[in-house]
Amino acid sequence: MSKAWAIRIATESDLEAIMAIERDCFITDAWPQDSMYEELVGAERYYIVAYENETIIGYAGLAKNPVAGQGDIQTIAVAVEHRGRGLGRDLMNALLTEAKRAGLRQVFLEVRADNDSAQSLYRSLGFEQIRIRPRYYQPDDVDAVEMLLNIDGAVSEPLVLGIESSCDETGVGIVRGNTLLANVISSSMEAHARFGGVVPEVAARAHLEALKPTLNEALAIAKVSLDEIDAIAVTNGPGLAGALMVGVGAAKALAVALDKPIYAVNHLVGHVGVDILERGELETPTIALLVSGGHTSLLMVRDLLDDVELLGETIDDAAGEAFDKVARILGLRYPGGPEIDRAAEGGNPQAIRFPRGLTQSKDMEKHRYDFSFSGLKTAVARWVEVAEGGAQAGRATAQAAAIEYSKADVAASFREAVADVLVTKAVNACNDHGVKRLLLGGGVVANRRLRELAAEKCAEHGIELRIPALSLCTDNGAMIAALGAQLIKDGRAPSSLDFGADSTLPVTTVQTL
Amino acid sequence: MAILLAIDTSAGTSVALFKNELLVCEKNFESNMKHAESIGAAIHAVLAEAGVRGSEVQRVVVGRGPAPFTGLRVGIGAAVMFTEAAKARLSGVVSLDAIALSAFAAGLVASETVPLLVTTDARRGEVYWALYSGLGKTGAPERIEGPQVLKPAALDELLAARGIHPVTTSQAVSAAAIGELAIALDRAGQLEADVTALYLRAPDAVEPKSPTQFAKKVSS
Repeated sequence: MSKAWAIRIATESDLEAIMAIERDCFITDAWPQDSMYEELVGAERYYIVAYENETIIGYAGLAKNPVAGQGDIQTIAVAVEHRGRGLGRDLMNALLTEAKRAGLRQVFLEVRADNDSAQSLYRSLGFEQIRIRPRYYQPDDVDAVEMLLNIDGAVSEPLVLGIESSCDETGVGIVRGNTLLANVISSSMEAHARFGGVVPEVAARAHLEALKPTLNEALAIAKVSLDEIDAIAVTNGPGLAGALMVGVGAAKALAVALDKPIYAVNHLVGHVGVDILERGELETPTIALLVSGGHTSLLMVRDLLDDVELLGETIDDAAGEAFDKVARILGLRYPGGPEIDRAAEGGNPQAIRFPRGLTQSKDMEKHRYDFSFSGLKTAVARWVEVAEGGAQAGRATAQAAAIEYSKADVAASFREAVADVLVTKAVNACNDHGVKRLLLGGGVVANRRLRELAAEKCAEHGIELRIPALSLCTDNGAMIAALGAQLIKDGRAPSSLDFGADSTLPVTTVQTL
Repeated sequence: MAILLAIDTSAGTSVALFKNELLVCEKNFESNMKHAESIGAAIHAVLAEAGVRGSEVQRVVVGRGPAPFTGLRVGIGAAVMFTEAAKARLSGVVSLDAIALSAFAAGLVASETVPLLVTTDARRGEVYWALYSGLGKTGAPERIEGPQVLKPAALDELLAARGIHPVTTSQAVSAAAIGELAIALDRAGQLEADVTALYLRAPDAVEPKSPTQFAKKVSS
């Protein structure tokens, strides 16, 4: 299913193949063969065919009037079995490239009023409706919509719908190019609370329930209908397999039903690319620190679409997981991040020196950019146990009467240890690579101390710090749509319909073809 | 021309397309692990073969299981989203009922006293099961018990204790049967909009008992 076609100028010898598609596509109003022949060989005509495995699978034609600076899209057709692969868009783009080359400033076309998908394709390419021609198409008695594209160097911006379901947030985002139109997130966090952590099966069940309402809310906020969407983007990894599969199946069904291309994109790279929605571009190179309940990754991003390198990641628990577990130890609720932030209020972050994982010199050789939070969690558990008077079995004596300890100090000291190791390693990465930019992403960015410390250390080292809005830092569909839009704007082929969910998708795979 | 798309991912990935209540084509991917991979291509294949655009589909019906969760969800999620895109009408049927329909259509005879037992693999050494007395007036199977989930030995015991000696079927669920069942139920005004997945098991997670013990995470 992957795109394997090429486009070339049509010749007389393509006439038969073109007519076969013509008759198939325009059942009631196909052009006669001799008219098509006249078009193919006519002056100021630019006809192209797309072929795959030596079979013609689509064609399109442009009539040029260089004197007037105007052109007309004469026809475009894609063989029925090859629709939904982005071929129509490729053919149109080829004609428009020729129109620009020929110095045309206006390109006109007519399209059947009942052909929604073609109209939305043209709109996505920048065409605008100028008038309706009543009952233009006979014998079907259907109106024509006349559309116009003014060529003034303006690039069309694709309208992309992104779906995210890698963990416990069902996200649907809609962007037009670099512009955010909607970002709706439905979280199953509450359902996980009694388990103290994300339960994959609970998350996957919640995704299935949330799909439809989340989609419809996003469409309503963006004020667009599904027919207008140019492409679907979806997270296909990394993440929880069962959760990812819900989004992948849903996104494919949308793409097939709408006859639109689909882009399978990397969740972590989505976190990096989201900055485009706030700044209009991603400044590279940049180091990115992604910290959530599922990931703790340090990335070197030289190019968003082509060159993302994993410098290091957690070798055990994710940072967010450590917050959740320590919250439980302290008798706080799930999710732990905000609870620990509250509990740490007024606490002394230097009260207890909890271990900083993988920062000893022997670890720094092998794991300079890796993280470990399992030991920290255990250290907190042990400290609390001791402080509470050793309530282990067999020692439940008078001394078990809880010794007073400051929960605020423990929370503040734990939080300090996490923030310290995250920021120190990220700043090291910036300095080591001579990259004076650091981008933060992931839900743990909500943690106040992490943001403070990052700002402080970055200022100290002359590093520019970027922290996107929290609604774009947590898992969301907008970042997936934004990455999809970047791929489209860069002319990347859509993914095939055959990709799967990959729970361990490496960051080097930005798009799964 | 009424166009109906039927989807079932209880076992493999099965998609079928009907025009005017007649089966046009069916596409099956047998793998019970690759639903996410197969679902898009399967739907695309039936639309292409039937020469139908997604927007022309007016009705979508999906098998609700019971079935292993991960695959089942892919089909239901796809059906929900396809319906939204096509502005179609969505319905759900019990996948085991479709298997019973196939068995009866193939000539199998059952009754209240000698019912049809349909079982499918529920993994973890268990089966999903339901009992049917035959085809009802509507042309849809009459389910007299189930769907439930049990270990095969426990199911045997249960049936033996009640003196039930059922006939059985080894048919697999097909989207064609899902569609046929929906058409029969619709004629009788019994087709339901509910597409809730029939899991029949609670999520397999243990609530931690002490602050230092953490949730065990198991997925199906």
